[in-house]
Amino acid sequence: MSEAAKQLVVNLNALAAGLFLLTSFGIVAMRQARGCLQLFIAQSLLLAASAALLGLRFDSGHLYGVALVNLISKPIIVPWLLRKVASAELYTRREIDQVLNIPTALSIALGLAIGAYFLGVPLARAVGPEYVGPNVPIGIAGLLLGALTLTVRREALPLLIGLLAMENGAFLAGISIAHDLSMLVELAIATDGLIIVFIVGVLVRAVAKQVGTTAVGELARLREGPR
Amino acid sequence: MGIFYAFFRDEARKKNGTRRQRQVSERILYNLLQVLVVMAFAPLVSGVTSRLKEMLQSKRGPSIFQPYRDLWKLFHKDEIVSEDSSWIFRFTPYMVFVAPIFVTLLIPVLTSYPLFFAFMGDMLGGGFVLALGGFFATLAAVDTANPYGPIGASRTRMVGFLAEPVFMIVFFTVSFVAGSTIPYIVQQKWVTPIANFFAPSHVLLVLAFLMLILAEGGRIPVDNPSGHFELAMIDESKSLEYSGRGFALMKWGGQMKFFVLLCIYLNVLVTPWGLAKDQAFAGVLLAIPLVLFKIFCFVLVLVLIESSLSKLRLFRITEFLGAAFVTSVVAMIAQLFLA
Amino acid sequence: MSVLWILFPPLIAAALAGIRSGKAWMPAVTAISCLIVLGGTLHMASVVSAGGSLTAGLSAAWLSWIAVDGLSALILVLIAFVSCTAALYSIGYMAHGEPTSGKLRLYYANYNLFVFSMLAIPLLAEPTLVWIVVELTTLCSALLVSFENTSEALEAAWKYVILSLMGAGFALFGFLVLFAAMHAGGGGSYTWAGLVEAAPRMPPLLMQTSFLLILIGLGTKVGLVPMHTWLPDAHSQAPSPVCALLSGIETTSILYVILRLFPVMHSVPGAHAERWAVVLGLISVGTAAFLLLQVHDYKRMFAFSTVEHMGIILTAIGLGASAADYGAMQQIVSHAVTKSFCFFAAGAVLLAVGTREIGSVRGLIRRAPLAGAALVFGGLGITGAPPLAVFLSEFAILKAGLASGHYAASGLLAIFIVIAFFGVMVHVNRMVFGAAEGAAEPEAPADRLPFSVVLVLALAAVPVLVLGLYLPAPLHDLLVSAAAAMTR
Repeated sequence: MSEAAKQLVVNLNALAAGLFLLTSFGIVAMRQARGCLQLFIAQSLLLAASAALLGLRFDSGHLYGVALVNLISKPIIVPWLLRKVASAELYTRREIDQVLNIPTALSIALGLAIGAYFLGVPLARAVGPEYVGPNVPIGIAGLLLGALTLTVRREALPLLIGLLAMENGAFLAGISIAHDLSMLVELAIATDGLIIVFIVGVLVRAVAKQVGTTAVGELARLREGPR
Repeated sequence: MGIFYAFFRDEARKKNGTRRQRQVSERILYNLLQVLVVMAFAPLVSGVTSRLKEMLQSKRGPSIFQPYRDLWKLFHKDEIVSEDSSWIFRFTPYMVFVAPIFVTLLIPVLTSYPLFFAFMGDMLGGGFVLALGGFFATLAAVDTANPYGPIGASRTRMVGFLAEPVFMIVFFTVSFVAGSTIPYIVQQKWVTPIANFFAPSHVLLVLAFLMLILAEGGRIPVDNPSGHFELAMIDESKSLEYSGRGFALMKWGGQMKFFVLLCIYLNVLVTPWGLAKDQAFAGVLLAIPLVLFKIFCFVLVLVLIESSLSKLRLFRITEFLGAAFVTSVVAMIAQLFLA
Repeated sequence: MSVLWILFPPLIAAALAGIRSGKAWMPAVTAISCLIVLGGTLHMASVVSAGGSLTAGLSAAWLSWIAVDGLSALILVLIAFVSCTAALYSIGYMAHGEPTSGKLRLYYANYNLFVFSMLAIPLLAEPTLVWIVVELTTLCSALLVSFENTSEALEAAWKYVILSLMGAGFALFGFLVLFAAMHAGGGGSYTWAGLVEAAPRMPPLLMQTSFLLILIGLGTKVGLVPMHTWLPDAHSQAPSPVCALLSGIETTSILYVILRLFPVMHSVPGAHAERWAVVLGLISVGTAAFLLLQVHDYKRMFAFSTVEHMGIILTAIGLGASAADYGAMQQIVSHAVTKSFCFFAAGAVLLAVGTREIGSVRGLIRRAPLAGAALVFGGLGITGAPPLAVFLSEFAILKAGLASGHYAASGLLAIFIVIAFFGVMVHVNRMVFGAAEGAAEPEAPADRLPFSVVLVLALAAVPVLVLGLYLPAPLHDLLVSAAAAMTR
């Protein structure tokens, strides 16, 4: 590949990673559950794009496989599985009042993203000279922002999306530093993701039936102290 | 304006050689041509926007030259000014009219090389001058003691102050990459190798600035430009009390401000191509329809956005501008991550 | 296949439990599969502690990913033992509430899948595969935790799933960084043994980061403070045999994964793995000891005790002496047998009186003497009273700590253990021997305990008592070879 084409591919990968970071912010702040799911699908597509572009850059078949697996399992199978397993009410929910209001949550998210920069850049440099792109800092940011989503959201679907977004972030960082992880492992991790969706869907359905709400983050009856 | 021209012509003559003098006078000429272009075509852009929006809603819509007719009509009408208002009320229409003209002198509208007044102020300065016009408009709205004026003025200020950080971060990031704050230099350094067009900071800045244009230009989802309901007005309320010539100047000034914002956006960030590269007059003339074409394409996109979204409730505007702020900071971070 | 075959009985049992729905059939199949697995793991342990290798007969591609050394064999034996006793216990316990066959099917299918996933953890040697199986343990036990379908059980299951998976996300990134470090250091096979060998060459920054990420990520699942908030809920709301599995051996299996990192991190400058272990361990022990004082629910009490013991084991490894490693292995064994006994006793009490509240239970010795006696025995056992199993192991750890010069750590550990002793025994004493408050009306006699429950209580009490008196030679050999796996 010519130098200019390599540069273009690297820049397109950086673009995919930048938009990935934007979707991570969106998942923290988006009120509607359905919008959260659409952002997650966009995020998975961007992850697949980044994997494919890095595969092009490093000429590695493994990364193409990762891209394909991500392309099929997350945008297609996850929503389908959720629809089958959990109640349809899950998709129509909207967070009216949040744990922290949205601008505060976004400011904390920005702080975390900047922290991810300080954590990620030395890490990326320590990997070696062949490392390219902002994948590691943005992957760490995706991880931290997914953890933030788990803390500030109450509805079940955004909580699940936050969990899956954490894995997406770990993966985005992973594809740039660990290209030749075995395909078996990749497939197993993807299957694992689907099992997570299944189990969480069953739990949410049980909660919705038993407790009557999908705002699972609000359940807080088990604690110590005076009753 | 003739006095200025004569003065600078004499200044130029003092330097050695007539060729030099001709270059400088050509630059002054092009600068003035820019101002004329902005003044002439701003109402056209406004007319095209409303016509396209109506067409998208399957209506026929007014003629695209309607804003010219409105301005002509307003200039020939009497003006009524409240006795209780102060000099601010009378002065504001001129301020609102002149502020975008000042900014036009600073930004690339037709040419890609810096013109005579280009170094008079940079992007931050231009932003502040535009804000000056808005500031006076807000004061004038409060001046008349009409209750709807201050309502709209306070909302405009809220949108303005929330949009300020986004402006700042966008300008900082763009200047950080290009190494300068002068729009002409930024434009030359930003997208010359095509690969830089896809840099994540560029794309994210384009997104953030688009949200900013929607906010500052008073378009949906922030404000409804064709609404008549005073309780819901944000930007339109600044010209509620004006009539006749003052109203015409306020309208024209508003249309020019929008045109100037679009020029900054398109000629510096999104599509910095199609501008005249050398001093030939024919090249500069050719740039005019190209710039208009770019603006027309953007107006198409804008109208599509406006027709598919609904106006946000007032407290949601903070979230909208918060999202714009986050996008711009992500652009800055992405630039840091790459470097 | 000589090693992988022990994974098949639980899988087959899960499949059978999913298909047939006879109420007596499922428990029997489960119990039989657990017994088969127990036999297999005991055989494996005897081979390994005699120094033999278990990986002959596998094709080369798979060879590197499966490895059983002393530590793995120890964990395998304990998993098999606890799952066996819990399976026998479930026969009587689960039949008590007259559940529908659909619910029983759910229970036994998940039970067997859970045992399968736990068994796979020590067998696999490739860290990312181990991570996948760790996630599987969470997922297979989630529906078991929410089995009772009350809103508290569902809340506990939700917190369990979310917090465990959040930690697993961090741990995934840690493992990926470890992989990258291995490649930056020049390559090698990505297995525990390969990591130990390649450790001196790997970039220290990447190693430190991955250690911290894995410690915090998997530490969430182990129950280290401050990531322990899900543990009291999940380990108390689940049915008692499942609690025994979760507390007794599942948290230990995850701790095993963390322990595997210590020999690797030893040769990395600046990782301070032992220091982190001591600090986190002591914080866990201390917090659990103090939180034990204010519980209202006796199953939560035992769950906090699990947090305390995990802290003790981690601190013991952090002390760094080989005698402390031996003590840690001994603690793993004694904790597994004693904690499972405690939960069996708690289940018996629940069957007898029908409530989990400590405040509502008084004078058990009169109402349900067997359950009361078991509760006292379990309480004494888990807090380290002589002459029971935990006392010997804690004594070994404290002795090793003092001998290696960690006076402050050992002192703090001793203080916290004493506080926990008082915390648990005050509650247990009041429950078992306390006089009933209020009117002197005769208390209703409690329900009779099912036969399998009584049988398992008797069976499980034996190791708790025996291991407190002396260590049988085969067990001692196994412990020595397990501690040898931790040599640094």
